Amino acid sequence: MIELRDVAYAYPDTDHYVLDGVDLSVARGEVVGVVGASGVGKTTLAKIIAGFIPSVEGGTLAGSVSVDDVQISSLPLAEAVAQVGLVIQNPFNQISGAKFSVREEIAFGLENTGVPRDQMISRVADVAKLLRIDHLLDRSPYALSGGQMQLVAIASVIVMGTPVLVMDEPTSQLDPGGSRMVFDVISALTDAGTSVLIFEHKMELLREHADRIAVLAEGRIVYEDNPRTVLTDDRLESWSVGSTRYTRAARAARDEGLTAPDAALPVSLSDSTVYFTTQRTGR
Amino acid sequence: MTTTLYEDRESAVHRLNPVTKLVAMLSIIIIVFAVQIWWVALGIVVFVVMPAAVISGTGGRLLSLSLKLLLPILIVLVLLQGLFFPEGTTVLAEFGPARVTVEGLMFALGIGSRIAALVLCSLVLLLTTDPALLMTSLTQKGMSPKMSYVISSTLQIIPAFQTRAQSILLAQQARGLRLKGNPLRRVAAVLPLVSPLVLGMFTDVEERSTAMEARGFSSPATHTSFVVVEDPLGQKIARWALAAIALASVVLSLLGVFK
Repeated sequence: MIELRDVAYAYPDTDHYVLDGVDLSVARGEVVGVVGASGVGKTTLAKIIAGFIPSVEGGTLAGSVSVDDVQISSLPLAEAVAQVGLVIQNPFNQISGAKFSVREEIAFGLENTGVPRDQMISRVADVAKLLRIDHLLDRSPYALSGGQMQLVAIASVIVMGTPVLVMDEPTSQLDPGGSRMVFDVISALTDAGTSVLIFEHKMELLREHADRIAVLAEGRIVYEDNPRTVLTDDRLESWSVGSTRYTRAARAARDEGLTAPDAALPVSLSDSTVYFTTQRTGR
Repeated sequence: MTTTLYEDRESAVHRLNPVTKLVAMLSIIIIVFAVQIWWVALGIVVFVVMPAAVISGTGGRLLSLSLKLLLPILIVLVLLQGLFFPEGTTVLAEFGPARVTVEGLMFALGIGSRIAALVLCSLVLLLTTDPALLMTSLTQKGMSPKMSYVISSTLQIIPAFQTRAQSILLAQQARGLRLKGNPLRRVAAVLPLVSPLVLGMFTDVEERSTAMEARGFSSPATHTSFVVVEDPLGQKIARWALAAIALASVVLSLLGVFK
């Protein structure tokens, strides 16, 4: 599990703390979504949890960041990355650039960590099947579309089999079908015990798949609860965080005085149908 | 999408272990430059390189590439050495200050045949060897995985950056950048492309480094290999034999045997 206590961080050569007092935990087999405005420090937080900050990027880190009760900053990077898989935002840069087929690309991390070849073959096949990219295995990683490349990038991290996954906007280049599939894969991984912390803007998918949503604003987690409660909170807009389209429509109707001010806002299509039907009937 | 010349085909030459082909190429180059006899280089081209190109089905491509690469070099060589060779005494024809001499032509033939052997051997290697397999074979023979990464990623990433440069150029053109006009104007027009491309590359390098480390690039574990490259005993013996011949040719050359 991931445990962050009072985490603060300032970039090198500055005393301004971009993160200041972050408390967050992710239990084994749990999916926690972190939402926040652009530039609020989501990627920085992801790198802290994955062990890259401060060991690689420097800066001043305070507080406690532990994975399975081990301080991640006390581990050498090679050991930290064996605990935490990191999916970065830009799939073009997640691709190693050294492999000439998707099959070898996915196996790259396994080669680096000395996994025997027979295990590599089966693990690559399994993860390709899971993400439905088995038809791409013999293609060059650079001959793929942005969405396909993102799926390969995700596969290349999932195949490492780390107990914790940190994903920084893993569906940024994917169409709705691809995004849904990635979240289905995340659900399958958490069923198997993986802890997942996902930085994402697609609220409807987070509503469906996350156990909790945490709002990162002003350098800390300002709000955290189950998806329904967070997504219907009126303060989201003040933190520059969006909501689901159903919630936005209902909120607009409520603000126009078309629906009751105290009625619970919907977060899904089925919710929305019930909400508007009830409200119309009520009137 | 790579910068390599590799042609994926099924042939006995393609099936050779990449390290065997690399050693053969290096040995041939050493031999033709150590044994300074023109017909040795020409013999290797005719009896080794050309059959290899025909067997591998890359003859047409080899011809087209070698014409582009070799023809200008050979023409310059013949013109310079054939017409202006200072030690030439046997004059075949004179054109003002230029003299066509037998010695000059023989010198041009000697240099030209060696350059031809070097270029053609290298091209056959590039045309018949999957760079990924070459890197894997070299890593399996003890080359540092980091060195292998640098070479392989360079081959792959250069065209990717070319694509990015093209995208930036299109974006700039969409905002009114005009590329037509005199050369000075064209150079000035390309300047807006440099800044986003270079700055973008710095960001990419940093991100890619993070991604590589996240996949255990610096792991102290002994690296394993997903791809296994066959290396039969016969080829191992052939490699040692080729290396021995190359070494012998250097030693004999130093002893002045080929003077």
